[in-house]
Amino acid sequence: MIITEVSGKKAILVIVQRVETPDFKGITKKQFFFRWDQLKDEADIYKLTFTDSPAILGLVGLIDIPAEYRIEIKLLAVSKENMGSGKRYEGIAGCLIAYTAREALKKYGGLAAVSLKPKTEIRQHYINKYGMKPAGQQVYLDGQELFDLINTYEI
Amino acid sequence: MSYKKLLKQYTPEELAESFVFPVKLTPKQQKEADRELAEARQKSQAAMTDEQRLYAGLLQLRFQLEDYLKGDQYDPALTFGYFLDRYLQLNHKKKKEFAKEIQIHETLLSHLISNRREPNDSIMIRLELHSNNIIPAIDWYKLAEKEKEYHIRTDNSLREKESPFVTHSLQLTF
Repeated sequence: MIITEVSGKKAILVIVQRVETPDFKGITKKQFFFRWDQLKDEADIYKLTFTDSPAILGLVGLIDIPAEYRIEIKLLAVSKENMGSGKRYEGIAGCLIAYTAREALKKYGGLAAVSLKPKTEIRQHYINKYGMKPAGQQVYLDGQELFDLINTYEI
Repeated sequence: MSYKKLLKQYTPEELAESFVFPVKLTPKQQKEADRELAEARQKSQAAMTDEQRLYAGLLQLRFQLEDYLKGDQYDPALTFGYFLDRYLQLNHKKKKEFAKEIQIHETLLSHLISNRREPNDSIMIRLELHSNNIIPAIDWYKLAEKEKEYHIRTDNSLREKESPFVTHSLQLTF
């Protein structure tokens, strides 16, 4: 999985791993915008890091819904220094969504889907940026769009 | 920082590239959202081609294989033969047909599936080529190695069998 360094356009290898209890000490609301520790009973939380450093670049909270063969992205945030025009690395959120796509495909094969409930103002950007498809109040990925995302982020 | 404050500071595009925000729905709204999603997905599923279903199945097999190889645990059920058999099933291939496609004898294929023979490098490369590089040869190789490693580590009967051939061993005590 790769992200891109904005300044030099250099591709950098990253990994996604499950957040363990000791990790929550270093996950602050100041840097990751939400109280992630409050989500741990409701969702499986994963972190994106470099392959050779424990620094967390982004987090995602996932809810697996086996009866519907889908995984819902409940919450996602990149670290504060990696958002907006001054960000250092590009593609953190994309990698976390692509990782979710991988997990869904691994569990559910051809029936797999990834969904999220978007805020109205940014809904269209999930569609434009990640190829998500509209479904009323939610947007989702399945089939070809799942494959495309996995290939884009070199999962 | 609240969503509204972030919207004043960043463009919607920048927010979509950085967040999925929590959205609370009432039970009634949730039910409606679930219905809408199920309806849309039903249409997507119906439109999926056989080729896309096969690709999804192959990715599923690859990701399961990769995660098994990454883990420390050895599972005696997850053998080279097991994954190879699943590969055949995904492709809807009979042994005879598949053996012909990768130019090996059908008996050898049966032995590989039943774990009575170990795969050589050529077979692993042919499997990679057959899958159009979706399942790399290195994954097949690591799978075979994982089994080998487990047996080397735990095969006490082989140790007993080989023992008479070692006529002298180092007598070191610390």
